[in-house]
Amino acid sequence: MLAYVIRRLLLLIPMAVGMIVVTFGLLLLVPGDPAAVLLGPEASPEMIANLRRTLGLDDPWYVRLGAYFWQLLHGDLGRSIFQSAPVSEIIGGRIGATIELAVVALLLATLIGVTLGVLAAVRQGSLIDTVTMLLAQLGVSMPVYWLGLLLMLGFAVQLNWLPAIGRGAPMLDAIVAALSGRPQVLWDSILHILLPALALAANSAAIISRLVRTSMLEVLREDFVRTAYAKGLRRPRVVVRHALRNALLPVLSVIGLRFGALLGGAVLVEMIFAWPGLGQLTFSAVSQRDLPLIQGIVLTFALIFALVNLVVDLLYALVDPRVRLG
Amino acid sequence: MNKLLLLTTAIVALGLGPATVTLAQDKAIVIGTDVDAGTLDPRLTRDTTAYRAADLIYAGLVHLTSKLEAVPDLAESWESPDPQTYIFKLRPDLKFSDGSPLTADDVVYTYESVINPDFNAPDRALYSPISAIEAVDPQTVKFTLSAPYAPLLSYLDKGIVSKAAVEAGKDPATDPIGAGPMVLSAWNRGSDIVLKANPSYWGGAPEVTDVTVKIIGDNSARAQAFEAGDLDVIQSPLSPNDIARLKADDRFGNVITAGLGVTYINYNTKDPVLADPGMRQAFSMLIDQNSIVNDIYQGVDEIASSIILPSSWAYSPDIKQPTFSVEGAVAKFNELGWKDSDGDGILDKDGKKLTVTLSTHSEDPNRVQSVELTQALMQSAGVDAQVQITDWPSFSTNYVQKGLHQIALLGWLNIVDPDRLLFGQLSTGGSTNWGGYSNPEVDKLLQEGRSSLDQAARAKAYQAAATILASDLPYFIISDQGYQLFYKKPFPVEVQATPRGNFRGLIGMDE
Repeated sequence: MLAYVIRRLLLLIPMAVGMIVVTFGLLLLVPGDPAAVLLGPEASPEMIANLRRTLGLDDPWYVRLGAYFWQLLHGDLGRSIFQSAPVSEIIGGRIGATIELAVVALLLATLIGVTLGVLAAVRQGSLIDTVTMLLAQLGVSMPVYWLGLLLMLGFAVQLNWLPAIGRGAPMLDAIVAALSGRPQVLWDSILHILLPALALAANSAAIISRLVRTSMLEVLREDFVRTAYAKGLRRPRVVVRHALRNALLPVLSVIGLRFGALLGGAVLVEMIFAWPGLGQLTFSAVSQRDLPLIQGIVLTFALIFALVNLVVDLLYALVDPRVRLG
Repeated sequence: MNKLLLLTTAIVALGLGPATVTLAQDKAIVIGTDVDAGTLDPRLTRDTTAYRAADLIYAGLVHLTSKLEAVPDLAESWESPDPQTYIFKLRPDLKFSDGSPLTADDVVYTYESVINPDFNAPDRALYSPISAIEAVDPQTVKFTLSAPYAPLLSYLDKGIVSKAAVEAGKDPATDPIGAGPMVLSAWNRGSDIVLKANPSYWGGAPEVTDVTVKIIGDNSARAQAFEAGDLDVIQSPLSPNDIARLKADDRFGNVITAGLGVTYINYNTKDPVLADPGMRQAFSMLIDQNSIVNDIYQGVDEIASSIILPSSWAYSPDIKQPTFSVEGAVAKFNELGWKDSDGDGILDKDGKKLTVTLSTHSEDPNRVQSVELTQALMQSAGVDAQVQITDWPSFSTNYVQKGLHQIALLGWLNIVDPDRLLFGQLSTGGSTNWGGYSNPEVDKLLQEGRSSLDQAARAKAYQAAATILASDLPYFIISDQGYQLFYKKPFPVEVQATPRGNFRGLIGMDE
């Protein structure tokens, strides 16, 4: 097991190198000069040329790529062209918000998806099944961007129940505050995260509910379920204890993969709800051609995604004794 | 299973509770804006938020009022003994927010860095006629110019940085020390900028004690956050649909002012099809300003008639660009030899079809729509018009700024003086003359306009230039941008909107 984990972690190195080279190549191909964007439309060509020299953008691509790897070896992600601060500092200040949003969205998606999926499977063909699958269809097809604006319009503007934008205290700090007698801090954080997390979760919840339904239907037809009923066990117990546990196996790997989709969706959701995370940063970095910052963000996203997949694989082995890692 | 259901219900129920109400502090406001500041160093500001935040944290020698008149700020008075010399007298006992004194040395330091090419200040070109800056004594600064330069005063509102603080290693970009009405209290990148009143400002602390600038990139999301009560003020850019809705809501106050920007068509005068001014006139007649301004922009902007802003002292209503007329355009094309000789619906001349590419950037859906409308109108007049839409960096730096465009729709902002929209853009070889326009007569008039210190003489020169430009048409000005501001009622102070969208009019400082 330990050897497996170490091997997987070592594999991250070539993956990271590949990611960097691919991102670097793509950014070389995308038109748009960060020096010109930085100086604005009133800058003269000489001013732009001068800044390009200062930023080292005139060097051949292999020199720049080499310099970037050299920096990385020294643990330095470089400096953002636009924010006059180290990339690691900028990302470090925002990564918590994005992970918090993605984790809460994943929990919501799992909770809603599994609940609806089980309901639909148990009552196959009923009205509940139809409504659930209709909701799932909506969830899959509705763009996260549009759903976000709708949720904001409904719950923040019309009903005024939830804040429209921003983030409360970071969730971990809020939990600590709640434990030390200030529950309103946690409450505030929860209210702030609900809408963005729900918008982000909808698509994944829909996919998970469909998968759970299919998987449950299969399991419910298995012999051991019939045996369980024959033993005289009551339905809820059969469904939750016997069927669901087996039906969840394929779902687990999908949930892991969904985490990547959630990180991608966070770019749009964070823009709408002014959630101060990496997604919002990605958008501005790309639109400004802030090359070092884009590289840093892509690398961070890739590492998070790879690590989450590793954790899911390990969990898989824990949940299903038939799976052997090595 | 039951547990799962219970949990789901609990989560949903959680959402149904009342939202937390932020404690109303006295005279605190939250302003919504579209982009985060890139820097808080006033010498390097380039985005609107940086500019507006720096305007609160720092003070300049002068302050530009909403009518764009330069009034004393840190400078108590100034004189110009000859057209190439300006002498500024600072107010006595000026202090930075850290308590250190602000002297002529700080002014010299600030402007020397701005004109230093290695400092890479984005608007260095505006200050290029300055040949020397010296501190005559701790309270007196002398600017020497290489040539008379009338617009200079409008550009001397740049915030003064503390030389001592910068030399001690404090980076004004992130850790600003200024002498403006407010001080930075916190800056959460990408999220908000928190400012507090500066009691040591020479004019005393402003009435509003706390300003939070909240960054919400999406225009509609920002408008919704305003409606939900999370923001006290929002201003342009706003989507026309949101403007219509907010205007109808009596919980909010609304101020509209003429902005300092134009939306215009940039013709590439080096392009074979567009080199003849007659062709540019014909194409300009196919731009339906009325539909663009009133339908696409929902009347937020005004239809433009010339290159001089209506709010400017140089404006004359007698100067007129061509107006919309498909028949007129077709007649003009025919007159220039473009006819549909093969009956395919497309005009041609010497066996060549009349083909042009219209372009703009994708970030502004209204501009994209305007280009698409113009494409349809051009096609109806027999022009094979194509559309090219790319994102801003690709469009501006790799396309228009390299003179690769034919007909491009874009805008200029911050036109505090006519010189700012004319000299660099339309004089021969100008640094931003991307369409390659050249007319010696216009060159002469633009030079006259910037070097004369007599406003009447300047106005005359600019009007003469604008008259030529209205028929030469290197630019066709579609609209003069309007500036919208909405605020929550009651607002702690009297709201004064400024055409640049600055915040001083929102904190109780008399503009």
